[in-house]
Amino acid sequence: MALILVKYGVDNPAERVKLEIANENDKVVLIQNGVFFAVVEDVTKLTKAEVYALKNDLEARGFCTADVKNVKLIDYDGLVELIEKEEKFIG
Amino acid sequence: MKIAIQVMVPPYTYQDLDTAIHIAEAALKRGHEVTIFLFADSVLSINSKVKPIRTDRNIPEKMKELAAKGVRIEICGICMDYRGVTEDMIVEGSRPSGLPELASLFANCDRFISLMA
Amino acid sequence: MAKKLLFVVYQSPVGSIWVNEAFRTAFGMYGEDLEPAVLLMNEATVAVRPTCKPECLGLLPISMVKRYLARYGTPVYVVKEDAERMKVTEVDPEYGAQFVSKAELSKLFHEYDYVVFM
Repeated sequence: MALILVKYGVDNPAERVKLEIANENDKVVLIQNGVFFAVVEDVTKLTKAEVYALKNDLEARGFCTADVKNVKLIDYDGLVELIEKEEKFIG
Repeated sequence: MKIAIQVMVPPYTYQDLDTAIHIAEAALKRGHEVTIFLFADSVLSINSKVKPIRTDRNIPEKMKELAAKGVRIEICGICMDYRGVTEDMIVEGSRPSGLPELASLFANCDRFISLMA
Repeated sequence: MAKKLLFVVYQSPVGSIWVNEAFRTAFGMYGEDLEPAVLLMNEATVAVRPTCKPECLGLLPISMVKRYLARYGTPVYVVKEDAERMKVTEVDPEYGAQFVSKAELSKLFHEYDYVVFM
């Protein structure tokens, strides 16, 4: 369905709305400070969509796979793959 | 596929231009046709007069390299005027355009990605 | 088939340019086979108050968009709960604002091909 990009962190109200409106068929990708949604919260409790996080942005902020749960880590290639798959965009 | 990426915030202040460049490079590698549309303060990223400190990345230079690799770089003309960026200042391969070109991108691209303000 | 575009603003209409830019972008879409709409949420909902006047500070007025809204009939959506929270007690009828509840947002967003937050 839709690719949903979340790029601001947990204090941004618009990003919370994007997570809330996502449905089961959407793919949420956490990029930039959006990765904090997977570090300081359980993002799967905030959204129905499948959640991915950009590994490059997570690691640049000093976190690693062990610091996040319930998200799939992807690189830029993986992000482009998702862009290819999802026709609609919210972000 | 035709992939369009819109950016709205200024380079160096935020990470968006870096993100857009990385996505564009990955998309090019996968054989896609990529256009970056620069809106609002993001137009500062094609100012060839930008001079970062030596240890930092040169974003306008990277934009120029992307253009040389085939990425189309469209710049909102009114946004340029508002920021005093003139045509002689912009990096090679980028071009001033405007909302009609953005509309055409929306209409003709296969995928549209935007990095919110 | 026309692609549907929704431009979403959440920042205040005074103090940032995004409400003006969302409308300007929406109006710029009509040369192509596109159907634009604008959604105001959070602090951006203040824009539809009749007394909201950025020009008091010498800033770019928002009222100029009303002329184009009348010409194009661009849909303007306002999130009801946000408007109530932001004390939008009176609405300028010229925006033709349609109020949507937070519960309806998911459905609304998914009706569009591209939802562009500003």
